[in-house]
Amino acid sequence: MATKDSRSTEGGLTEFVSIEAFDRRDNLAALLFILPNLIVFTAFLFIPVVFAVYLSFSEWQVLTGELQFIGLDNYRSLVYPLPWENDWAVLSTPTVNLWWWAVSRTMIYTVGVVPVAIAGGLAVALVLDRQIRFKKAFRAAYFLPVMLSGAISAIIWGWILNLNGIANNVLAPIGLAHNWVGDPSTALGAIMLIAVWAGIGFNMIIFLAGLQNIPDELYEAARIDGTNGWQRFRHVTWPNLQNTYFFVIVLAIISSFQVFAIAYALTSGGPYYATTTIVVLIYQEAFQHDSMGLAAAMAMLLFVVIFVFSYYQYRARGNDEVTY
Amino acid sequence: MVRSNYDYPGYERSGPVYWAKKLLLYAGVVFGALLMVAPFYWTVTTALSANPGAGVVTVIPETITFEHFIDLFTEQPVGRWFLNAFIFAGAVTLFNVTFDTLAGYAFAKLDFFAREKVFLLFIGTMMIPGMVTLIPVYIILAELGWVNTYRGLIAPLIASPFGIFLLRQYFLGLPDSLGEAARIDGCNKFQAFYHIYLPLAKPAVATLGIFAFMGAWNNFEWPLIIATDHELYTLPVALFLVQGQYTQNWGLVMATAAIMVVPIIVAFLSAQQYFIRGMTLSGMKG
Repeated sequence: MATKDSRSTEGGLTEFVSIEAFDRRDNLAALLFILPNLIVFTAFLFIPVVFAVYLSFSEWQVLTGELQFIGLDNYRSLVYPLPWENDWAVLSTPTVNLWWWAVSRTMIYTVGVVPVAIAGGLAVALVLDRQIRFKKAFRAAYFLPVMLSGAISAIIWGWILNLNGIANNVLAPIGLAHNWVGDPSTALGAIMLIAVWAGIGFNMIIFLAGLQNIPDELYEAARIDGTNGWQRFRHVTWPNLQNTYFFVIVLAIISSFQVFAIAYALTSGGPYYATTTIVVLIYQEAFQHDSMGLAAAMAMLLFVVIFVFSYYQYRARGNDEVTY
Repeated sequence: MVRSNYDYPGYERSGPVYWAKKLLLYAGVVFGALLMVAPFYWTVTTALSANPGAGVVTVIPETITFEHFIDLFTEQPVGRWFLNAFIFAGAVTLFNVTFDTLAGYAFAKLDFFAREKVFLLFIGTMMIPGMVTLIPVYIILAELGWVNTYRGLIAPLIASPFGIFLLRQYFLGLPDSLGEAARIDGCNKFQAFYHIYLPLAKPAVATLGIFAFMGAWNNFEWPLIIATDHELYTLPVALFLVQGQYTQNWGLVMATAAIMVVPIIVAFLSAQQYFIRGMTLSGMKG
């Protein structure tokens, strides 16, 4: 039976109009269908976003529940710079602006985690796309960490990496035992390790989906042309994975900007603010220091950065042409 | 199963170089898989060993004991936390699946005013970082007196843009003619959805259900913010609390972790293809 193919490519919304034999528009019915979502989104997304904008220009008194409009003060207090000495103790002084510090920690985390998790995910996907024995079991093994929340992973790894933990027992004979989580200069590295461990499986699955979509004929043609494995990867696999790795990179960067659970569950942002990422800082300002307005201003800045980044990526990706 | 891209005549399948490559490949894959799985294994063995103070890499713990689990259940309201986690994840899943299926269908099969714009608005909310809305939502709930209640825990999470996207994607792949035939046979719009399309969308609904459940089960930040009382903690927050209390008693901490991890592993292994298909269903057609 001939059906109209209305499957849209990702992101693109193809307009198609179903031929209704009875009435042209389904406005009322559709409203009823989307009403529950509309109510929930309005109450818990749309109104809060508008409220968050207002909140970022005000101060919320926890005890009285009053909102005071204070203009740009929250934003102003975020811009004065941080002394860039790597002296951990300096950070504990109240004169230091933690915002830029948290931004820098988040950037280090992103730059460290994203490439490794993506390269690892791609490598594993390429291997598990082949005729390899126990393929299903291997895929399951690599995917298992994805099923866990960051908080649990962090606590399990915290135990592996602690002073008397398994990691140090393995590393002690070669003289590399170290207080990985307790030392400010390696704590962020520990967080990054956990993120990579959990991220590889996630990226693997998305890459596997992308690999499945590459027509076998292309490989066949490449073989007839007498290419070796590397050439096939370079000229067939890589160009055809364009959409997939674009998607993976954007997703990985956006979620890295928002890392919270791993950092908070492992070290609560410590030691000496070593793992205070942007969202950890926002959480602490809002719910531990009761600076709701300041936290809202930080969250707004994060939102703007993510929005600009996503929009730019979306626009920059005008050409979907695959070149061979 | 798709035939592998590498399974072709003319592809070298003999000789020392081939075998060396193959050996290296398998060694790498096995080593990586062990790194992925080992932490889970150690979690369980530590929870079961009597004296886990020193992190010895044992394959099998020397002494197997359930004392950490018993301690945990006698000293902490673990049953309560478990129940909370189930109520929270169950309610979130039920609402999510219902609401998102309805909306996903409307965006795929009904023709209405500003449909694509409304859809973009819904999907666009995925870009908002959680922390942006969490703070105002907390304040709103505080004003309503919903902090520390199940209502406050569940309400903000009962609809998700991702679910709408997933279901719309799936419904778009089903032919329009089915609905038209049903309409001609005298079904109204809801009946066409309920009797014709919904049964066909079972895989997508199951996938969304699993994702919603896992998401809520693993959610750390929202219960951490909204539940100030131990009675309302869900498991990840409880684990965080236990870890803070018993920094020296790793056996107890790992027993708590094991209680969280084992159901996830069981669920994953029993519904593996849904998890993996769900990840690929999200419309990433290259």
